[in-house]
Amino acid sequence: MRAFDFVSAESADQAISLLSEHGPNVIVLAGGTDILVDLKHAKHDPDVVVDITRAEDLKGIEVNDGGLRIGALVTHTQIMDDPYIRENFPALVHAAHTIGAVQTRNLGTLGGNLVTCVPSMDSGPALMALEAEVTVAGPDGTRRMGLEEFFVGPRKTVLEHNEVLLDVIIPRKNLGKPADFLKFGLRKGQALALVNAASALWVGEGNTFKDVKISLGAVAPTVIRAAAAEDFLEGREITPENMAEAGRLAVEDAKPIDDFRASASYRRDLIAVLTKRTLDNAYRLAQGG
Amino acid sequence: MTDVTLTINGEERSASVPPETSLLRLLRDEFFLTGSKLGCDVGDCGACTVIVDGLPVNACLMLAGQVDGRDVVTIEGLATLEDLHPIQKAFEEFASLQCGFCGPGVIISAKGLLDRNPDPTKEEIKDALSGNLCRCTGYTKMIEAVQDAARILRGEKEAA
Repeated sequence: MRAFDFVSAESADQAISLLSEHGPNVIVLAGGTDILVDLKHAKHDPDVVVDITRAEDLKGIEVNDGGLRIGALVTHTQIMDDPYIRENFPALVHAAHTIGAVQTRNLGTLGGNLVTCVPSMDSGPALMALEAEVTVAGPDGTRRMGLEEFFVGPRKTVLEHNEVLLDVIIPRKNLGKPADFLKFGLRKGQALALVNAASALWVGEGNTFKDVKISLGAVAPTVIRAAAAEDFLEGREITPENMAEAGRLAVEDAKPIDDFRASASYRRDLIAVLTKRTLDNAYRLAQGG
Repeated sequence: MTDVTLTINGEERSASVPPETSLLRLLRDEFFLTGSKLGCDVGDCGACTVIVDGLPVNACLMLAGQVDGRDVVTIEGLATLEDLHPIQKAFEEFASLQCGFCGPGVIISAKGLLDRNPDPTKEEIKDALSGNLCRCTGYTKMIEAVQDAARILRGEKEAA
């Protein structure tokens, strides 16, 4: 690793001060599962690394008036173990479980997964389908936004060098909303997604799709919503045919690429299948499993 | 330099190291605890697995400064002067290792599992070991050893 200075922040405010003081060539260190690799392989060459793992105000999972708040430093293991999330959001538990392996899930944080912002991140789709918002804090205060706005491009978010992600909030209206997440990787453990997908829905009158949201990963520069598929389904009867049609439309919403993991054409097939299956699984969950 | 004081295998240790020192380098180069192996150095192979505050993690993915004040258990902390740990004994009995390079990491991962879940299913053992790459023995004998160690630790079977 190249040389850098190391400072540790005990709170989000202290982190923001340290980042402002030492910036702009600074980097925030949380779980480190991506950052340490980048530091060793010199993608980053910061003057100062600001460790935030001791910032207690960035931890914790709670339900409050705004909805479900998950602190940015909550690890993937903590999401998998949380009784409320297990009961109400099995899609988040499943998504967390598909990340890395035990050791990296014990270190890696939800906030870190979102901030690193690789298109194949496994935390993104289920949260986006549940219309999650994030809180960003900087020297001038905090701002809230949806994930669609937070993600800018591959490995790029709206965060400035002296800003930190505070938390992720699933709005109150979506607490307990039936949702499913599926990932297709080349192995069960330690594999990146060729495609991942999530759907969330309520069942409306006459067995129809209500407030259906679909999100896809690894098929565009960032995690995206499948708007055409959502629009098609809204208000329509819940049938296998309509789910399959939504899968076909979701392919149009995406821009998959050829790379060493899979061809764009294979990814298009996966999008259709995973979209249909997440819709079907979310519907089964709505029916009580 | 970064000053760190931490508990390693029940003993308080201190060091002053360059800020870019990983926990793995700290253990190996400062404290000469070379049981934790440097394999991939990017968090894929699990050969460096240690337990920090009760949870197995990749020592190559933490900076020394992050473990100041924390509790670390390495493979050297399992055996006593008299006896191996039951997981180590089971690995010996079942011939679960050939070259042994991945062994310390695998055994630490198994300990991390059994500390939290004394009666794991085969699937749960596979999940717990999926962050540890073994390229010579394979996993069948490791899984059998973990199951056997679990029985011994639960008191259902006498140690060999």
